Amino acid sequence: MTTPVLALKQITKQFGQGHTAVQALKQADFEIYPGQFVAIIGPSGSGKSTFLTIAAGLQTPTSGQVLLNGTELDSQSEKSRLAFRFNEIGFILQSSNLIPFLTVTEQLKLVDKLAHRSFQKERATTLLSQLALTEVATSYPNELSGGERQRVAIVRALYNDPSVILADEPTASLDTPRSIDVVKRLADEAHQHQKAIVMVTHDQRLIGDCDVVYQIEDGIMTRQK
Amino acid sequence: MYLGLKEMWHEKLRYTLLSGVLLLIALVVFMLAGLANGLSAGNRQAVDVWQARSVYLNKDANQTLTASQLKLTDRDKLSNQPVAPISVLSGTLRTNKNGLKTSISALATSRNSFLMPKVVSGHAINGKHQLLISAALKEKGFHIGQKVRVGTTNRTVKIVGTYAANTYMIAPTAYTDTSTLNWLKSLPITTGKRQSVNGFVTKQATFKNKHHGGLEKLSIATFINKIPGYSAEQLTLNTMIYFLFVIALAIIGIFMFVLTLQKKPLFGVLKVQGIGTNHILAALLTQSIAMALIGIILGLGITVGLAQIMPAGLPFAINWPQFGLYGLALLLASVIGALLSWRTVAKIDPVVALG
Ligand SMILES: Nc1ncnc2c1ncn2[C@@H]1O[C@H](COP(=O)(O)OP(=O)(O)OP(=O)(O)O)[C@@H](O)[C@H]1O
Ligand SMILES: [Mg+2]
Repeated sequence: MTTPVLALKQITKQFGQGHTAVQALKQADFEIYPGQFVAIIGPSGSGKSTFLTIAAGLQTPTSGQVLLNGTELDSQSEKSRLAFRFNEIGFILQSSNLIPFLTVTEQLKLVDKLAHRSFQKERATTLLSQLALTEVATSYPNELSGGERQRVAIVRALYNDPSVILADEPTASLDTPRSIDVVKRLADEAHQHQKAIVMVTHDQRLIGDCDVVYQIEDGIMTRQK
Repeated sequence: MYLGLKEMWHEKLRYTLLSGVLLLIALVVFMLAGLANGLSAGNRQAVDVWQARSVYLNKDANQTLTASQLKLTDRDKLSNQPVAPISVLSGTLRTNKNGLKTSISALATSRNSFLMPKVVSGHAINGKHQLLISAALKEKGFHIGQKVRVGTTNRTVKIVGTYAANTYMIAPTAYTDTSTLNWLKSLPITTGKRQSVNGFVTKQATFKNKHHGGLEKLSIATFINKIPGYSAEQLTLNTMIYFLFVIALAIIGIFMFVLTLQKKPLFGVLKVQGIGTNHILAALLTQSIAMALIGIILGLGITVGLAQIMPAGLPFAINWPQFGLYGLALLLASVIGALLSWRTVAKIDPVVALG
């Protein structure tokens, strides 16, 4: 394997100053290669979401470097970071990240509009049926269950064919069989389509398919597997 | 585009209400503009029909026709171009037994002058004590052959012809010759070159020499502006219209700003997905332009509809180029209004979406 798709070097993130300062991440090192499915586990408040947002360029670290395909994210303009986020990163948020006034299918159509291409009907149909969403394709987010919304978010992230998918507890509102399904789906995506997928979870049972597992505790990141 | 329109479709009530507010503003703008035009036309239509370039008045007349006293001989101070005397008498036109009575602006010039209106029925003035009436007076019941009184005297003149309707100082006009009008005004001299007139109208005449002999030259535009009440009315109505543009801007601006504050988390989500400030602003602009267009087009439609059923006495006139311009101004106001949220949108931090 050559360069990692995503590498974080000596990342520290501090919130606030003085007495009230919180060190959410302490000199964290991380790397992921195409075709890898990586899990990050850790208790609540340990810094998992902070890590993902820094990896996606949504927050800048207090110190350290984020490298995407070998180039430093910090050195890029806001505009190219935005384009990069849109093209290369699929983000699945901890809470639902759907647009309330678009139906499930329209969420996908929007992605195509923004990418200046026509609607990829077949791809949409396939992805929706793989995540058992065919029935709700024309529903609005407020008409869906929490699990359905979470799956739509996953479809949306996969739909744009990004090279990296960052998923913050993608199974948080799913029952166990569904959770296992979704994780299988992400693992397939990584292994069969050479995607780099990072999944944050606190459910130990879901990390069986993962190639690499990192543990975060109090901002300190250690590789487990 | 897509985002903006989809949201409007999903939130129909909210956006319909705001379009409704814009519709009302557009309606008031167009109605005020129509009234301003109507009043303007009512004041100046007769002057526009003259197609003249300038008017000469007594320099002490404060640039108003009625206050200007000149003699026919003053015409000799002007170079030898088409120059026509003009006199005016605002008063009532009534039939002998007071059966019909209405306010008019009686205008007088020489019989063969270019100011004399084109007669459409009857004949031009060819003798003493004859009167031409605007078609509007014919509709009120006055007719050719009728003996009528003008002003407060009991002297009667005969209606001999009619011409296309026009008005001066918000009253329908009637035309006669200079002598007849002076006779109706009960002035001592009603013949010859020493008769009184109010001014001279010309297409291109200039002063003969540097000695203007108590005359003052006014462009037609100045002359119209000095019609009593004209500029005050226009200024009042136009000021109201300009304020409405500002109000439209403020309403769109405030509404879009409140919505933007409300939708911060959503915009955060969009930014997380790589949809930037420009896209979000484009959606806001699409929405405000769509609402403005709906409001303007409906407002225009309703204005045109109302104009059809308005009582004839209400001065109202639609001027399409002007209405187009006001429509554009309203559109521009809503674009600027939407852009006021630009900073707020730009400052939204995607991290807020992550909770
Ligand atoms: N914007 C912020 N300002 C101040 N402190 C913050 C901010 N974001 C996160 N923190 C703090 O940083 C630490 C890590 O937060 P983070 O959201 O990364 O935890 P997490 O591992 O994702 O937890 P959970 O499993 O509950 O989602 C917490 O102590 C949190 O309070
Ligand atoms: Mg978290």
